[in-house]
Amino acid sequence: MSFFEDPIKFLAGLLQDLLVSLNLHPIAITVINNIVGALIVSSVGLVIVIFLIWLERKLAARFQDRFGPNRAGPFGILQSFGDLSKLVLKEDVVPDAADKIPYNIAPILSIAAVVLVWAVVPFSVEWIGTDLNVGVLYIAAVGSFGILSVLMAGWASNNKYALLGAFRAVAQLISYEVPLIFALLIPVLLARSMGVNQIVGAQDIWYIFVVPVAFGIFFIASLAEIGRTPFDLLEAESEIVAGYHTEYSGMKFGMFMAGEFLHSLTLAVVTAALFLGGWRGPYVEQLPLLGPLYLFLKAGFVYFLIVWIRSSLPRIRIDHMLDITWKFLTPLSVVLLMAIALTDALLKEFGQINNTALYVGAMIAVNVVIALLALFAASRLNSRQRRQIKTFEPRPLAVPPKPAAPAAASTSEEASA
Amino acid sequence: MTEMAPAQEGTLEARFPGVVTHDERKGYEGYIVQLDKLTEVAQVLRDDLGYDFLSSVTAVDYLAQKEDEESYFEVVYHLYKSTGGSALVLAVQTPRDNPAVPSLTPLYPGAEFQEREAFDLYGIDFTDHPDMRRILMWEGFEGFPMRKDWKEPYFEEDVKPFANRWPGGQVYRIEDHNPVGKNNQYPQGFDPESWSPAIEDALYDSLRRSNAEYDEIEDLDTEQVIVNLGPQHPSTHGVFRMAVLMDGETIVALKPVMGYLHRNHEKIGERNTFLHNMPFTDRLDYITSLSNNFGYALAVEKLMGAKGVPTERAEYIRVIMAELTRISSHLWAIGFLLNDLGAFFTPSLYAIEERELLLDIFEATTGSRMMNNYFRFGGVARDFPEGVLERIGELVTERLPRKVDELDRYLTNNEIVRTRCEGIGVLSPDEAIEYSMAGPMLRASGVPYDVRRADPYSIYEQFDFDVAVRYHGDVYDRYLIRLDEIRQSIRIVQQAVERIPDGDFLTGKNPYQVRVPAGEAFGRVEGPKGEIGFYVVSNGKANPWRYHVRAPSFINLTALEKMCIGSKVADVVVVLGSVDIILGEVDR
Repeated sequence: MSFFEDPIKFLAGLLQDLLVSLNLHPIAITVINNIVGALIVSSVGLVIVIFLIWLERKLAARFQDRFGPNRAGPFGILQSFGDLSKLVLKEDVVPDAADKIPYNIAPILSIAAVVLVWAVVPFSVEWIGTDLNVGVLYIAAVGSFGILSVLMAGWASNNKYALLGAFRAVAQLISYEVPLIFALLIPVLLARSMGVNQIVGAQDIWYIFVVPVAFGIFFIASLAEIGRTPFDLLEAESEIVAGYHTEYSGMKFGMFMAGEFLHSLTLAVVTAALFLGGWRGPYVEQLPLLGPLYLFLKAGFVYFLIVWIRSSLPRIRIDHMLDITWKFLTPLSVVLLMAIALTDALLKEFGQINNTALYVGAMIAVNVVIALLALFAASRLNSRQRRQIKTFEPRPLAVPPKPAAPAAASTSEEASA
Repeated sequence: MTEMAPAQEGTLEARFPGVVTHDERKGYEGYIVQLDKLTEVAQVLRDDLGYDFLSSVTAVDYLAQKEDEESYFEVVYHLYKSTGGSALVLAVQTPRDNPAVPSLTPLYPGAEFQEREAFDLYGIDFTDHPDMRRILMWEGFEGFPMRKDWKEPYFEEDVKPFANRWPGGQVYRIEDHNPVGKNNQYPQGFDPESWSPAIEDALYDSLRRSNAEYDEIEDLDTEQVIVNLGPQHPSTHGVFRMAVLMDGETIVALKPVMGYLHRNHEKIGERNTFLHNMPFTDRLDYITSLSNNFGYALAVEKLMGAKGVPTERAEYIRVIMAELTRISSHLWAIGFLLNDLGAFFTPSLYAIEERELLLDIFEATTGSRMMNNYFRFGGVARDFPEGVLERIGELVTERLPRKVDELDRYLTNNEIVRTRCEGIGVLSPDEAIEYSMAGPMLRASGVPYDVRRADPYSIYEQFDFDVAVRYHGDVYDRYLIRLDEIRQSIRIVQQAVERIPDGDFLTGKNPYQVRVPAGEAFGRVEGPKGEIGFYVVSNGKANPWRYHVRAPSFINLTALEKMCIGSKVADVVVVLGSVDIILGEVDR
């Protein structure tokens, strides 16, 4: 096996040989092997985040007709390193009345919760931290840790803005878990496995083309889960300053920020794995090195969508946001799950139909029908009535009391329809 | 454009014989009302005679200059009809010792902040005022700074130009002769070192008082929390503070706290000469400098009479510049309203891009992008340079209409914008008039009141434009009305650019000193934020005796609590954004 065919395996073999040649105990060898692996997997994400911040700033700048960072290094790519060193050098301020233990644990937890997810992300055919057979369940379970860190930070800071941010976090993150997990179940159902790599392996046709509505639900729910616009209520700058991390400074704030960016990237990668065929692409079987490339291209596309939405939309108010999840997304995802399960069973188990085109066609038809029904129901049941035209009685135009008012003085009345 | 209301002249004096008398002082055209009958007269004016819009309340300190004169405070009221027409000026006089005037706040809620300001700066007690506290100065301040006998710590002389300044002789710094701490004044027994702004019982008491009307949710044990939004807060557009009493995320009571940028603009204005004040008005609402110039120029020109009539070309230049200012201010307001809604700067940057083009024109014409100092009494400071008029024509015929449509297309029907803005911060037409709201705030509430039409000034009567009006009074309408007004302003500029005549841009020479006869005048223009008015009293000397600004941002804030109660924290920010305040003007 040469280095270029599969560098990871090649290096892992070298390490294994080295450890064996040192005559270590087999358990020690396994432990060292795993620690090295875990370090590599978790640092991939953290290193990518540094460039991700630069990329996001650059993209957002382009959406807003400006240049973005362009001074530090070529294309400003060193900007994040500058920011990072500033954060490290900054004084670490802890409020007097803060509850010290949760206050200090919260930033660590916020990064840890995200890094843990990377354990089950398949980078290539056989490159995966650990191929859990309940990978999807693991993602859902570990992802919820993040809420805990927000809650701890908000409560421990002893600040009203932070507390408000934590209030909102509880309401938002817990609500959006529900549709998120229902949407997550659909690829599981189609692939008949909870292992992430098995789901990727089963995507001869990417699931986004089989169950587009599930992708939509998952994407919206993950936007809420990572607290990105239009669901960035936990740290709504214009309302509650910085939300739960108002009282953090220096690298502790940096960890929250890195955690947030990493969370976005992680969910983009998970979306890519579950719906966009993960590492799959031409020649990936022959050359596993292409796997991560494909995966990150797809994740990059999802991330681009996230940045695009962030630069274009304003923020939703908390009660509207809860309306969307409980009255729309949750019922929709339940119905979709049932319909997909039924269709899949009818076609595959009972009908024994193996014609891919027919299968995909039927699935898409079911998706489209459900989406249309949902939109129809939403528009019918929408309790918020559009404003009636002219709430107030029109009054005459105010003009000086002269015998002849100027002819041009007419009232423009362009009330919206 | 006289300040009199001829139709009412007979009626008012006849109706209250001996109570209301015509102001006989030279240059004054209002009525003097007996102190104890003020409420009665105001009630009749509001209910029977239709003067339902109290535009401005202010005080003047007539400190005796000679032995035989009498010293007194005068509180001046400018009343208008919301159906249009010119002002009715009322004045009441009160002695300088223990001055007290009946409050008009129960009749005109819009007087609330203005009366507090008069109390703060003059020490006039308004009896029956619901919330009589200082508003611009801080709680521990000693004295009433606008009184003529009050001296600031670095007092040099009563009026400028000071003798120690160039070119009169030697220049020295007053601080060296009068070190800080020597003449600072504090209340009896006050220790500045131990004073803490945390002890703000008066403010929090007033919050709890207005909370009394709120119905608590039954069967739910909740605790109300006081949160101070500001003074350091990302969306208060400056150092502005809202003390908010909240039940969960719902607003129960709200009190604006301002004055962090207070610099006693009006006192400085009284030290300055008339011409000195022109650049000083730029600093009020620094987004709309040219409109501020316009209002002040009108007030002083009224006093100057025939000498102060601007040339025709000057009038056109003034209208063009004022309307361009309105466009730039509204673009700014729309962009930052979206920021308050949580959009990540994209809409504001798109709007600011267009504003930059307008600032380029201001720079080419006036020499400065924001602090323009362009208007003069009887004209403007200089003519358009070559090519600028063509550039303005290009902008208003090609680029701006397209860009406004673009903003409209991107924002107006955005579902999130609509759900966030519709039905939020509603003010009914009657409330809007009661609270003395002005400008887009008033017109979004269905009152088609635009000073350009209601009490025409300059040459606005010659232009063909519509007064935009909307009928819901919510944040969404305030956004739409700004878009409409940009379009109407573009129409006006298009017409003005076409018709502008040749000629002088200034009547007479551009003097260092203007002679302003004694009298009072109120110059009001329709500024982008609302009616901006300047009340100027001259005693015939080189400096104004009284220089008062009717600041639309400040007065529009009176209704902030009314608009916010019952909504969420997120809405407060949006409502504040829709009022479009500039702290330089609020705090003065």
